[in-house]
Amino acid sequence: MQHLLKIEWLKVKNYKAFWIFSILYSFAILGINYTGYYVNELAVQNMPASQILLGTPYAFPKVWQTVGFMSSWLLYFPGILFIMLLTNEFNFKTHRQNIIDGWTRKQFITVKFVFAILFSVVATFFNLLVALLFGLITTGSHFSFTGFENIGYIFIQTVAYITFAMFLAILFRRSGAAIAVFFLYGLIFEWLITALVNFNFHLTPIGYFLPLQVTDVMLPIPFGNEVIYKGAPDLWILVVASVIYICAYYFFALRKFTKEDL
Amino acid sequence: MSILTVENLSKNYGRIQALKNVSFSVPEGTVFGILGPNGSGKTTMLGTVMDILKPTTGGYKLFDETPTAAHRKKIGTLLETPNFYHYLSGVKNLEIAAEVKQHGKEDIDRVLEMVDLTRRKDSKFSTYSLGMKQRLAIASCLLGNPNVLVFDEPTNGLDPVGIAEIRELMKNLYRQGKTIIMASHLLDEVEKVCTHVAILKRGELITSGNVNEILSNEDMVEVGAPDTDKLQEILKNMHTQTRVTFDGGIIKIFFPVGTANLSEINNYCFNNGVVLNHLLLKKKSLEARFFELTNN
Repeated sequence: MQHLLKIEWLKVKNYKAFWIFSILYSFAILGINYTGYYVNELAVQNMPASQILLGTPYAFPKVWQTVGFMSSWLLYFPGILFIMLLTNEFNFKTHRQNIIDGWTRKQFITVKFVFAILFSVVATFFNLLVALLFGLITTGSHFSFTGFENIGYIFIQTVAYITFAMFLAILFRRSGAAIAVFFLYGLIFEWLITALVNFNFHLTPIGYFLPLQVTDVMLPIPFGNEVIYKGAPDLWILVVASVIYICAYYFFALRKFTKEDL
Repeated sequence: MSILTVENLSKNYGRIQALKNVSFSVPEGTVFGILGPNGSGKTTMLGTVMDILKPTTGGYKLFDETPTAAHRKKIGTLLETPNFYHYLSGVKNLEIAAEVKQHGKEDIDRVLEMVDLTRRKDSKFSTYSLGMKQRLAIASCLLGNPNVLVFDEPTNGLDPVGIAEIRELMKNLYRQGKTIIMASHLLDEVEKVCTHVAILKRGELITSGNVNEILSNEDMVEVGAPDTDKLQEILKNMHTQTRVTFDGGIIKIFFPVGTANLSEINNYCFNNGVVLNHLLLKKKSLEARFFELTNN
Protein backbone atom coordinates (compact mmCIF):
# COMPACT_ATOMS: atom_id res chain seq x y z
CA MET A 1 0.00 0.00 0.00
CA GLN A 2 2.89 2.35 0.77
CA HIS A 3 4.11 1.93 -2.78
CA LEU A 4 0.66 2.62 -4.19
CA LEU A 5 0.35 5.72 -2.03
CA LYS A 6 3.72 6.91 -3.27
CA ILE A 7 2.38 6.77 -6.84
CA GLU A 8 -0.79 8.56 -5.78
CA TRP A 9 1.43 11.21 -4.20
CA LEU A 10 3.39 11.59 -7.46
CA LYS A 11 0.09 12.24 -9.21
CA VAL A 12 -0.98 15.08 -6.90
CA LYS A 13 2.40 16.50 -5.86
CA ASN A 14 2.71 18.60 -8.99
CA TYR A 15 -1.00 19.13 -9.52
CA LYS A 16 -1.59 22.82 -8.92
CA ALA A 17 -5.34 22.48 -8.44
CA PHE A 18 -4.72 20.07 -5.57
CA TRP A 19 -2.64 22.62 -3.67
CA ILE A 20 -4.86 25.56 -4.53
CA PHE A 21 -7.92 23.66 -3.32
CA SER A 22 -6.17 22.47 -0.18
CA ILE A 23 -4.88 25.92 0.71
CA LEU A 24 -8.22 27.58 -0.01
CA TYR A 25 -9.91 24.90 2.05
CA SER A 26 -7.58 25.55 5.00
CA PHE A 27 -8.09 29.28 4.84
CA ALA A 28 -11.83 28.75 4.51
CA ILE A 29 -11.88 26.63 7.69
CA LEU A 30 -10.01 29.36 9.50
CA GLY A 31 -12.17 32.05 7.91
CA ILE A 32 -15.58 30.54 8.53
CA ASN A 33 -14.69 29.90 12.17
CA TYR A 34 -13.27 33.35 12.61
CA THR A 35 -16.50 34.75 11.19
CA GLY A 36 -18.51 32.69 13.66
CA TYR A 37 -16.25 33.71 16.49
CA TYR A 38 -16.31 37.38 15.56
CA VAL A 39 -20.07 37.58 15.08
CA ASN A 40 -20.61 35.85 18.39
CA GLU A 41 -18.22 38.17 20.24
CA LEU A 42 -19.85 41.17 18.62
CA ALA A 43 -23.33 40.02 19.55
CA VAL A 44 -22.36 39.40 23.15
CA GLN A 45 -20.52 42.72 23.36
CA ASN A 46 -23.43 44.75 22.04
CA MET A 47 -26.13 42.80 23.75
CA PRO A 48 -24.84 40.80 26.71
CA ALA A 49 -28.21 39.17 27.10
CA SER A 50 -27.71 37.32 23.80
CA GLN A 51 -25.20 35.07 25.52
CA ILE A 52 -28.09 33.32 27.23
CA LEU A 53 -29.45 32.47 23.81
CA LEU A 54 -26.18 31.70 22.02
CA GLY A 55 -24.22 30.09 24.81
CA THR A 56 -20.45 30.14 24.55
CA PRO A 57 -19.85 28.32 21.25
CA TYR A 58 -16.15 29.15 20.93
CA ALA A 59 -15.21 28.40 24.52
CA PHE A 60 -14.15 24.97 25.73
CA PRO A 61 -15.79 22.48 25.74
CA LYS A 62 -18.31 23.63 23.11
CA VAL A 63 -15.61 24.75 20.67
CA TRP A 64 -14.87 21.17 19.47
CA GLN A 65 -18.42 20.87 18.24
CA THR A 66 -18.68 24.44 16.96
CA VAL A 67 -15.62 24.13 14.74
CA GLY A 68 -16.93 20.80 13.45
CA PHE A 69 -20.30 22.28 12.63
CA MET A 70 -18.90 25.41 10.95
CA SER A 71 -16.30 23.51 8.94
CA SER A 72 -18.83 20.93 7.80
CA TRP A 73 -20.25 23.51 5.40
CA LEU A 74 -16.90 23.53 3.63
CA LEU A 75 -16.74 19.80 2.97
CA TYR A 76 -17.89 20.42 -0.57
CA PHE A 77 -14.36 21.71 -1.20
CA PRO A 78 -12.49 18.46 -0.67
CA GLY A 79 -15.46 16.67 -2.25
CA ILE A 80 -14.97 18.57 -5.49
CA LEU A 81 -11.22 18.08 -5.28
CA PHE A 82 -11.58 14.32 -5.11
CA ILE A 83 -14.18 14.31 -7.87
CA MET A 84 -11.58 16.12 -9.98
CA LEU A 85 -8.80 13.72 -9.02
CA LEU A 86 -10.93 10.81 -10.20
CA THR A 87 -12.49 12.32 -13.30
CA ASN A 88 -9.04 13.51 -14.35
CA GLU A 89 -8.04 9.88 -14.55
CA PHE A 90 -11.07 9.11 -16.68
CA ASN A 91 -10.49 12.12 -18.93
CA PHE A 92 -6.81 11.41 -19.42
CA LYS A 93 -7.54 7.67 -19.64
CA THR A 94 -4.77 7.22 -17.12
CA HIS A 95 -7.04 4.86 -15.18
CA ARG A 96 -6.63 2.57 -18.18
CA GLN A 97 -2.89 3.16 -18.39
CA ASN A 98 -2.38 2.38 -14.70
CA ILE A 99 -4.07 -0.98 -15.25
CA ILE A 100 -2.19 -1.61 -18.50
CA ASP A 101 1.09 -0.84 -16.78
CA GLY A 102 0.39 -3.42 -14.11
CA TRP A 103 -1.97 -2.25 -11.40
CA THR A 104 -5.00 -4.35 -10.59
CA ARG A 105 -8.36 -2.65 -10.79
CA LYS A 106 -8.78 -3.17 -7.07
CA GLN A 107 -5.49 -1.42 -6.33
CA PHE A 108 -6.60 1.59 -8.36
CA ILE A 109 -9.81 2.05 -6.34
CA THR A 110 -8.38 1.09 -2.97
CA VAL A 111 -5.48 3.52 -3.04
CA LYS A 112 -7.86 6.35 -3.94
CA PHE A 113 -9.99 5.60 -0.89
CA VAL A 114 -6.97 5.25 1.37
CA PHE A 115 -5.64 8.54 0.05
CA ALA A 116 -9.01 10.14 0.83
CA ILE A 117 -8.79 8.83 4.39
CA LEU A 118 -5.27 10.21 4.81
CA PHE A 119 -6.44 13.55 3.45
CA SER A 120 -9.27 13.47 6.01
CA VAL A 121 -6.77 12.83 8.80
CA VAL A 122 -4.85 15.95 7.83
CA ALA A 123 -8.05 18.00 7.48
CA THR A 124 -9.26 16.79 10.87
CA PHE A 125 -5.96 17.66 12.47
CA PHE A 126 -6.21 21.14 11.02
CA ASN A 127 -9.71 21.46 12.47
CA LEU A 128 -8.31 20.39 15.81
CA LEU A 129 -5.71 23.15 15.66
CA VAL A 130 -8.36 25.69 14.71
CA ALA A 131 -10.57 24.56 17.61
CA LEU A 132 -7.61 24.86 19.98
CA LEU A 133 -6.84 28.34 18.71
CA PHE A 134 -10.34 29.70 19.12
CA GLY A 135 -10.88 27.89 22.40
CA LEU A 136 -7.76 29.50 23.81
CA ILE A 137 -8.39 33.04 22.59
CA THR A 138 -11.98 33.12 23.83
CA THR A 139 -12.11 35.11 27.05
CA GLY A 140 -12.99 33.11 30.10
CA SER A 141 -12.39 29.79 28.35
CA HIS A 142 -10.22 27.10 29.92
CA PHE A 143 -8.79 24.17 28.02
CA SER A 144 -10.78 20.99 28.38
CA PHE A 145 -10.92 17.62 26.67
CA THR A 146 -14.63 17.41 27.32
CA GLY A 147 -16.38 17.06 23.99
CA PHE A 148 -13.14 16.04 22.29
CA GLU A 149 -15.02 13.14 20.66
CA ASN A 150 -16.36 15.77 18.25
CA ILE A 151 -12.96 15.68 16.58
CA GLY A 152 -13.68 12.03 15.81
CA TYR A 153 -17.03 13.02 14.32
CA ILE A 154 -15.29 15.63 12.18
CA PHE A 155 -13.04 12.90 10.85
CA ILE A 156 -15.91 10.54 10.07
CA GLN A 157 -17.89 13.31 8.45
CA THR A 158 -14.94 14.37 6.29
CA VAL A 159 -14.36 10.81 5.12
CA ALA A 160 -18.07 10.35 4.46
CA TYR A 161 -18.37 13.50 2.32
CA ILE A 162 -15.23 12.79 0.32
CA THR A 163 -15.98 9.13 -0.30
CA PHE A 164 -19.56 9.99 -1.27
CA ALA A 165 -18.15 12.46 -3.80
CA MET A 166 -15.71 9.84 -5.09
CA PHE A 167 -18.51 7.36 -5.44
CA LEU A 168 -20.43 9.85 -7.58
CA ALA A 169 -17.32 10.47 -9.68
CA ILE A 170 -16.91 6.75 -10.35
CA LEU A 171 -20.60 6.43 -11.08
CA PHE A 172 -20.84 9.34 -13.54
CA ARG A 173 -17.24 9.54 -14.76
CA ARG A 174 -17.75 13.19 -15.69
CA SER A 175 -16.78 15.96 -13.31
CA GLY A 176 -19.69 18.20 -14.31
CA ALA A 177 -22.34 15.59 -13.63
CA ALA A 178 -20.74 14.39 -10.41
CA ILE A 179 -20.27 17.89 -8.99
CA ALA A 180 -23.80 18.95 -9.94
CA VAL A 181 -25.36 15.90 -8.31
CA PHE A 182 -23.12 16.29 -5.25
CA PHE A 183 -24.21 19.89 -4.71
CA LEU A 184 -27.87 19.52 -5.55
CA TYR A 185 -28.22 16.42 -3.46
CA GLY A 186 -26.20 17.63 -0.48
CA LEU A 187 -27.49 21.17 -0.28
CA ILE A 188 -31.10 20.78 -1.38
CA PHE A 189 -32.54 17.36 -1.95
CA GLU A 190 -31.23 15.65 1.13
CA TRP A 191 -32.70 18.31 3.40
CA LEU A 192 -35.92 18.08 1.49
CA ILE A 193 -36.09 14.31 1.80
CA THR A 194 -35.19 14.44 5.50
CA ALA A 195 -37.91 16.99 6.14
CA LEU A 196 -40.48 15.02 4.15
CA VAL A 197 -39.65 11.69 5.75
CA ASN A 198 -39.39 12.98 9.32
CA PHE A 199 -42.08 15.59 9.48
CA ASN A 200 -44.59 14.93 6.73
CA PHE A 201 -44.62 11.17 7.03
CA HIS A 202 -43.69 11.20 10.76
CA LEU A 203 -41.04 8.57 10.22
CA THR A 204 -38.39 10.09 12.52
CA PRO A 205 -35.58 9.14 12.80
CA ILE A 206 -35.41 7.44 9.38
CA GLY A 207 -34.85 10.80 7.67
CA TYR A 208 -31.66 11.25 9.65
CA PHE A 209 -30.11 8.20 8.07
CA LEU A 210 -29.50 9.67 4.63
CA PRO A 211 -25.86 9.45 3.48
CA LEU A 212 -24.68 12.98 4.32
CA GLN A 213 -27.40 13.84 6.83
CA VAL A 214 -26.34 11.05 9.12
CA THR A 215 -22.97 12.76 9.62
CA ASP A 216 -24.54 16.22 9.90
CA VAL A 217 -26.65 15.02 12.81
CA MET A 218 -23.46 14.07 14.67
CA LEU A 219 -22.41 17.72 14.74
CA PRO A 220 -25.58 19.78 15.32
CA ILE A 221 -25.78 23.57 15.47
CA PRO A 222 -23.85 24.59 18.58
CA PHE A 223 -25.50 27.98 19.10
CA GLY A 224 -28.02 27.91 21.87
CA ASN A 225 -29.28 24.94 23.79
CA GLU A 226 -32.23 23.98 21.70
CA VAL A 227 -32.33 20.47 20.30
CA ILE A 228 -32.27 20.87 16.53
CA TYR A 229 -32.49 17.25 15.45
CA LYS A 230 -35.51 16.14 17.41
CA GLY A 231 -35.69 12.40 17.93
CA ALA A 232 -32.19 11.81 16.60
CA PRO A 233 -30.76 8.37 17.33
CA ASP A 234 -27.83 7.85 19.70
CA LEU A 235 -24.48 9.04 18.48
CA TRP A 236 -22.96 5.59 18.33
CA ILE A 237 -25.75 4.52 15.97
CA LEU A 238 -24.95 7.49 13.75
CA VAL A 239 -21.28 6.56 13.80
CA VAL A 240 -22.03 2.97 12.83
CA ALA A 241 -24.37 4.11 10.07
CA SER A 242 -21.72 6.50 8.70
CA VAL A 243 -19.09 3.78 8.67
CA ILE A 244 -21.50 1.45 6.88
CA TYR A 245 -22.07 4.13 4.25
CA ILE A 246 -18.34 4.67 3.77
CA CYS A 247 -17.78 0.94 3.35
CA ALA A 248 -20.70 0.74 0.94
CA TYR A 249 -19.23 3.51 -1.26
CA TYR A 250 -15.99 1.60 -1.39
CA PHE A 251 -17.57 -1.74 -2.21
CA PHE A 252 -19.92 -0.42 -4.86
CA ALA A 253 -17.17 1.66 -6.44
CA LEU A 254 -14.93 -1.39 -6.42
CA ARG A 255 -17.66 -3.54 -7.88
CA LYS A 256 -18.40 -1.14 -10.67
CA PHE A 257 -14.74 -0.61 -11.46
CA THR A 258 -13.80 -4.28 -11.45
CA LYS A 259 -16.78 -5.60 -13.39
CA GLU A 260 -17.10 -3.11 -16.21
CA ASP A 261 -15.10 -2.02 -19.22
CA LEU A 262 -12.83 0.88 -18.37
CA MET B 1 6.44 -20.49 -25.61
CA SER B 2 3.47 -18.46 -26.73
CA ILE B 3 3.55 -14.89 -25.53
CA LEU B 4 -0.15 -14.44 -26.05
CA THR B 5 -2.81 -17.04 -26.72
CA VAL B 6 -6.29 -15.84 -27.52
CA GLU B 7 -8.95 -18.49 -27.09
CA ASN B 8 -12.42 -18.15 -28.61
CA LEU B 9 -12.61 -14.52 -27.60
CA SER B 10 -15.91 -12.71 -28.17
CA LYS B 11 -16.87 -9.23 -27.13
CA ASN B 12 -20.24 -7.56 -27.53
CA TYR B 13 -21.08 -3.91 -27.08
CA GLY B 14 -24.82 -4.19 -26.70
CA ARG B 15 -26.00 -5.63 -30.02
CA ILE B 16 -22.72 -4.92 -31.80
CA GLN B 17 -20.39 -7.87 -31.91
CA ALA B 18 -16.92 -6.37 -31.84
CA LEU B 19 -15.11 -9.71 -31.68
CA LYS B 20 -16.47 -13.03 -32.84
CA ASN B 21 -14.83 -16.12 -31.49
CA VAL B 22 -11.26 -15.07 -32.23
CA SER B 23 -8.42 -17.50 -31.56
CA PHE B 24 -4.74 -17.22 -32.39
CA SER B 25 -1.41 -17.28 -30.69
CA VAL B 26 1.69 -15.12 -30.82
CA PRO B 27 4.97 -17.07 -30.80
CA GLU B 28 7.93 -15.69 -28.88
CA GLY B 29 10.38 -13.54 -30.82
CA THR B 30 8.05 -12.52 -33.62
CA VAL B 31 6.74 -9.20 -34.82
CA PHE B 32 3.09 -9.98 -34.87
CA GLY B 33 0.88 -7.63 -36.84
CA ILE B 34 -2.82 -7.41 -36.18
CA LEU B 35 -4.26 -6.04 -39.33
CA GLY B 36 -7.71 -4.84 -40.18
CA PRO B 37 -9.71 -1.87 -41.36
CA ASN B 38 -11.07 0.71 -38.90
CA GLY B 39 -13.57 -0.85 -36.55
CA SER B 40 -12.44 -4.40 -37.19
CA GLY B 41 -11.79 -5.05 -33.48
CA LYS B 42 -8.02 -4.61 -33.20
CA THR B 43 -8.08 -2.26 -30.22
CA THR B 44 -10.93 -4.18 -28.59
CA MET B 45 -8.79 -7.31 -28.84
CA LEU B 46 -5.73 -5.69 -27.29
CA GLY B 47 -7.85 -3.88 -24.68
CA THR B 48 -9.31 -7.19 -23.57
CA VAL B 49 -5.88 -8.75 -23.31
CA MET B 50 -4.76 -5.81 -21.15
CA ASP B 51 -7.76 -6.22 -18.81
CA ILE B 52 -9.34 -2.88 -19.52
CA LEU B 53 -12.22 -4.52 -21.36
CA LYS B 54 -14.07 -7.58 -20.15
CA PRO B 55 -14.59 -10.36 -22.71
CA THR B 56 -18.17 -11.51 -23.24
CA THR B 57 -17.00 -15.08 -23.68
CA GLY B 58 -13.68 -16.79 -24.18
CA GLY B 59 -10.35 -15.88 -22.70
CA TYR B 60 -6.64 -15.46 -23.20
CA LYS B 61 -3.31 -16.42 -21.72
CA LEU B 62 -0.12 -14.45 -21.25
CA PHE B 63 3.18 -16.34 -21.28
CA ASP B 64 1.14 -19.58 -21.32
CA GLU B 65 -0.30 -18.69 -17.92
CA THR B 66 -3.56 -17.36 -16.55
CA PRO B 67 -3.11 -13.60 -16.95
CA THR B 68 -2.42 -11.40 -13.91
CA ALA B 69 -1.31 -7.83 -13.28
CA ALA B 70 2.23 -9.14 -12.77
CA HIS B 71 2.28 -10.31 -16.39
CA ARG B 72 1.25 -6.86 -17.57
CA LYS B 73 4.20 -5.32 -15.73
CA LYS B 74 6.46 -7.33 -18.03
CA ILE B 75 4.83 -5.96 -21.18
CA GLY B 76 5.21 -2.44 -22.54
CA THR B 77 1.87 -1.42 -23.97
CA LEU B 78 0.66 1.54 -25.99
CA LEU B 79 -3.07 1.21 -26.45
CA GLU B 80 -5.03 3.47 -28.80
CA THR B 81 -3.88 6.85 -27.46
CA PRO B 82 -1.01 8.12 -25.31
CA ASN B 83 -2.56 8.25 -21.82
CA PHE B 84 -0.74 10.65 -19.54
CA TYR B 85 -1.40 13.28 -16.87
CA HIS B 86 -1.75 16.50 -18.85
CA TYR B 87 -0.52 18.70 -16.01
CA LEU B 88 2.73 16.77 -15.51
CA SER B 89 5.94 16.96 -17.52
CA GLY B 90 7.03 14.09 -19.75
CA VAL B 91 9.61 12.93 -17.26
CA LYS B 92 7.20 13.07 -14.30
CA ASN B 93 4.70 11.02 -16.27
CA LEU B 94 7.37 8.42 -16.94
CA GLU B 95 8.23 8.38 -13.23
CA ILE B 96 4.64 7.36 -12.49
CA ALA B 97 4.67 4.70 -15.21
CA ALA B 98 8.01 3.38 -13.95
CA GLU B 99 6.69 3.20 -10.39
CA VAL B 100 3.55 1.35 -11.48
CA LYS B 101 5.73 -1.12 -13.37
CA GLN B 102 8.09 -1.17 -10.38
CA HIS B 103 11.18 -0.40 -12.40
CA GLY B 104 12.59 2.66 -10.70
CA LYS B 105 13.69 5.88 -12.34
CA GLU B 106 17.09 4.87 -13.70
CA ASP B 107 15.73 3.88 -17.10
CA ILE B 108 13.92 7.12 -17.87
CA ASP B 109 16.77 9.04 -19.47
CA ARG B 110 17.59 6.13 -21.74
CA VAL B 111 14.06 5.75 -23.11
CA LEU B 112 13.63 9.50 -23.57
CA GLU B 113 16.82 9.51 -25.60
CA MET B 114 15.59 6.58 -27.68
CA VAL B 115 12.52 8.51 -28.82
CA ASP B 116 14.35 11.81 -29.09
CA LEU B 117 12.41 13.63 -26.37
CA THR B 118 15.24 14.53 -24.00
CA ARG B 119 15.13 18.17 -24.99
CA ARG B 120 11.45 18.51 -24.06
CA LYS B 121 11.33 16.14 -21.11
CA ASP B 122 10.51 18.88 -18.61
CA SER B 123 7.71 20.43 -20.64
CA LYS B 124 4.16 19.68 -19.62
CA PHE B 125 2.51 16.85 -21.51
CA SER B 126 -0.32 19.20 -22.53
CA THR B 127 2.17 21.29 -24.52
CA TYR B 128 3.37 18.33 -26.59
CA SER B 129 2.43 17.90 -30.24
CA LEU B 130 0.57 14.76 -31.26
CA GLY B 131 3.80 13.19 -32.49
CA MET B 132 5.61 13.99 -29.25
CA LYS B 133 2.79 12.49 -27.22
CA GLN B 134 3.08 9.36 -29.29
CA ARG B 135 6.85 9.27 -28.74
CA LEU B 136 6.38 9.63 -25.00
CA ALA B 137 3.95 6.72 -25.06
CA ILE B 138 6.49 4.61 -26.91
CA ALA B 139 9.16 5.67 -24.41
CA SER B 140 6.87 4.56 -21.61
CA CYS B 141 6.52 1.14 -23.26
CA LEU B 142 10.30 0.79 -23.38
CA LEU B 143 10.73 1.44 -19.64
CA GLY B 144 12.50 -1.45 -17.98
CA ASN B 145 13.47 -2.92 -21.34
CA PRO B 146 10.57 -5.41 -21.47
CA ASN B 147 10.77 -8.49 -23.67
CA VAL B 148 7.27 -8.04 -24.99
CA LEU B 149 5.85 -4.87 -26.51
CA VAL B 150 2.32 -4.15 -27.61
CA PHE B 151 1.83 -1.22 -29.96
CA ASP B 152 -1.57 -0.11 -31.15
CA GLU B 153 -1.13 2.13 -34.19
CA PRO B 154 2.39 3.12 -33.12
CA THR B 155 3.03 5.59 -35.91
CA ASN B 156 -0.17 7.55 -35.37
CA GLY B 157 0.48 11.26 -35.59
CA LEU B 158 4.14 10.93 -36.48
CA ASP B 159 5.78 12.75 -39.37
CA PRO B 160 7.53 10.71 -42.09
CA VAL B 161 10.87 10.92 -40.30
CA GLY B 162 9.23 9.85 -37.06
CA ILE B 163 7.52 6.94 -38.80
CA ALA B 164 10.83 5.76 -40.24
CA GLU B 165 12.50 6.10 -36.83
CA ILE B 166 9.84 4.08 -35.08
CA ARG B 167 10.04 1.37 -37.73
CA GLU B 168 13.78 1.25 -37.31
CA LEU B 169 13.30 1.06 -33.56
CA MET B 170 10.92 -1.85 -33.96
CA LYS B 171 13.30 -3.69 -36.23
CA ASN B 172 16.03 -3.15 -33.65
CA LEU B 173 13.84 -4.48 -30.90
CA TYR B 174 13.02 -7.48 -33.04
CA ARG B 175 16.72 -8.13 -33.64
CA GLN B 176 17.23 -8.07 -29.89
CA GLY B 177 14.83 -11.00 -29.75
CA LYS B 178 11.86 -9.10 -28.38
CA THR B 179 8.30 -10.02 -29.23
CA ILE B 180 6.28 -7.18 -30.68
CA ILE B 181 2.54 -7.24 -31.12
CA MET B 182 1.42 -4.43 -33.35
CA ALA B 183 -2.06 -3.44 -34.46
CA SER B 184 -2.32 -1.33 -37.55
CA HIS B 185 -4.51 -0.41 -40.44
CA LEU B 186 -1.46 0.73 -42.39
CA LEU B 187 -0.63 -2.20 -44.61
CA ASP B 188 2.64 -0.83 -45.67
CA GLU B 189 3.72 -0.65 -42.05
CA VAL B 190 2.86 -4.26 -41.41
CA GLU B 191 4.57 -5.37 -44.59
CA LYS B 192 7.76 -3.56 -43.68
CA VAL B 193 8.00 -4.70 -40.09
CA CYS B 194 6.02 -7.84 -39.30
CA THR B 195 7.02 -11.48 -39.43
CA HIS B 196 3.57 -12.78 -38.56
CA VAL B 197 0.14 -11.40 -39.12
CA ALA B 198 -3.48 -11.88 -38.09
CA ILE B 199 -6.16 -10.29 -40.19
CA LEU B 200 -9.40 -9.15 -38.63
CA LYS B 201 -12.52 -8.08 -40.42
CA ARG B 202 -15.62 -6.93 -38.58
CA GLY B 203 -14.56 -8.80 -35.47
CA GLU B 204 -13.77 -12.03 -37.23
CA LEU B 205 -10.33 -13.50 -37.63
CA ILE B 206 -9.88 -14.15 -41.33
CA THR B 207 -6.47 -15.68 -41.18
CA SER B 208 -3.28 -15.69 -39.15
CA GLY B 209 0.26 -16.98 -39.56
CA ASN B 210 3.58 -16.23 -41.19
CA VAL B 211 3.48 -12.99 -43.14
CA ASN B 212 5.09 -14.43 -46.28
CA GLU B 213 2.68 -17.31 -46.42
CA ILE B 214 -0.35 -15.16 -45.92
CA LEU B 215 0.47 -12.06 -47.83
CA SER B 216 2.17 -13.53 -50.86
CA ASN B 217 0.84 -16.83 -51.95
CA GLU B 218 2.60 -16.55 -55.28
CA ASP B 219 5.55 -14.83 -56.92
CA MET B 220 4.87 -12.34 -59.66
CA VAL B 221 7.21 -11.26 -62.43
CA GLU B 222 6.60 -8.34 -64.74
CA VAL B 223 8.04 -8.65 -68.21
CA GLY B 224 8.03 -6.56 -71.35
CA ALA B 225 9.35 -6.78 -74.91
CA PRO B 226 8.86 -4.81 -78.12
CA ASP B 227 6.76 -7.65 -79.54
CA THR B 228 4.13 -8.17 -76.85
CA ASP B 229 2.11 -10.73 -78.76
CA LYS B 230 5.03 -13.01 -79.37
CA LEU B 231 6.16 -12.68 -75.77
CA GLN B 232 2.75 -13.75 -74.55
CA GLU B 233 2.74 -16.60 -76.99
CA ILE B 234 6.03 -18.09 -75.78
CA LEU B 235 5.28 -17.51 -72.09
CA LYS B 236 2.14 -19.61 -72.36
CA ASN B 237 4.36 -22.53 -73.20
CA MET B 238 6.68 -21.99 -70.27
CA HIS B 239 6.03 -24.93 -67.96
CA THR B 240 7.14 -23.42 -64.58
CA GLN B 241 4.54 -20.64 -64.57
CA THR B 242 1.07 -20.97 -63.10
CA ARG B 243 -0.59 -18.26 -65.18
CA VAL B 244 0.13 -15.28 -67.39
CA THR B 245 -1.92 -12.10 -67.48
CA PHE B 246 -1.89 -9.13 -69.81
CA ASP B 247 -3.30 -6.03 -68.27
CA GLY B 248 -2.70 -2.35 -68.97
CA GLY B 249 0.21 -3.03 -71.28
CA ILE B 250 2.07 -5.08 -68.69
CA ILE B 251 2.55 -8.82 -68.86
CA LYS B 252 2.64 -10.57 -65.52
CA ILE B 253 3.81 -14.12 -64.98
CA PHE B 254 2.93 -15.94 -61.76
CA PHE B 255 4.88 -18.72 -60.08
CA PRO B 256 4.47 -20.73 -56.89
CA VAL B 257 6.03 -18.94 -53.89
CA GLY B 258 9.83 -18.81 -54.09
CA THR B 259 10.19 -20.42 -57.50
CA ALA B 260 10.44 -17.39 -59.78
CA ASN B 261 13.93 -17.26 -61.32
CA LEU B 262 14.66 -14.15 -63.35
CA SER B 263 17.70 -15.40 -65.21
CA GLU B 264 15.80 -18.53 -66.19
CA ILE B 265 12.97 -16.43 -67.58
CA ASN B 266 15.39 -14.18 -69.42
CA ASN B 267 17.20 -17.17 -70.85
CA TYR B 268 13.96 -18.86 -71.87
CA CYS B 269 12.71 -15.80 -73.75
CA PHE B 270 16.03 -15.18 -75.46
CA ASN B 271 16.22 -18.80 -76.57
CA ASN B 272 12.73 -18.44 -78.01
CA GLY B 273 13.69 -15.35 -79.98
CA VAL B 274 12.35 -12.55 -77.74
CA VAL B 275 14.63 -9.94 -76.21
CA LEU B 276 13.17 -8.53 -73.00
CA ASN B 277 13.27 -4.83 -72.27
CA HIS B 278 11.60 -5.17 -68.88
CA LEU B 279 12.04 -7.84 -66.23
CA LEU B 280 11.06 -7.31 -62.61
CA LEU B 281 10.26 -9.61 -59.69
CA LYS B 282 7.40 -8.21 -57.67
CA LYS B 283 5.87 -9.47 -54.52
CA LYS B 284 2.19 -9.25 -54.79
CA SER B 285 1.31 -6.06 -53.00
CA LEU B 286 0.00 -6.49 -49.51
CA GLU B 287 -2.74 -4.10 -50.38
CA ALA B 288 -4.02 -6.32 -53.17
CA ARG B 289 -3.84 -9.34 -50.91
CA PHE B 290 -5.54 -7.50 -48.09
CA PHE B 291 -8.46 -6.49 -50.29
CA GLU B 292 -8.62 -10.02 -51.59
CA LEU B 293 -8.85 -11.34 -48.04
CA THR B 294 -11.22 -8.78 -46.61
CA ASN B 295 -13.56 -8.31 -49.54
CA ASN B 296 -15.29 -11.63 -49.76
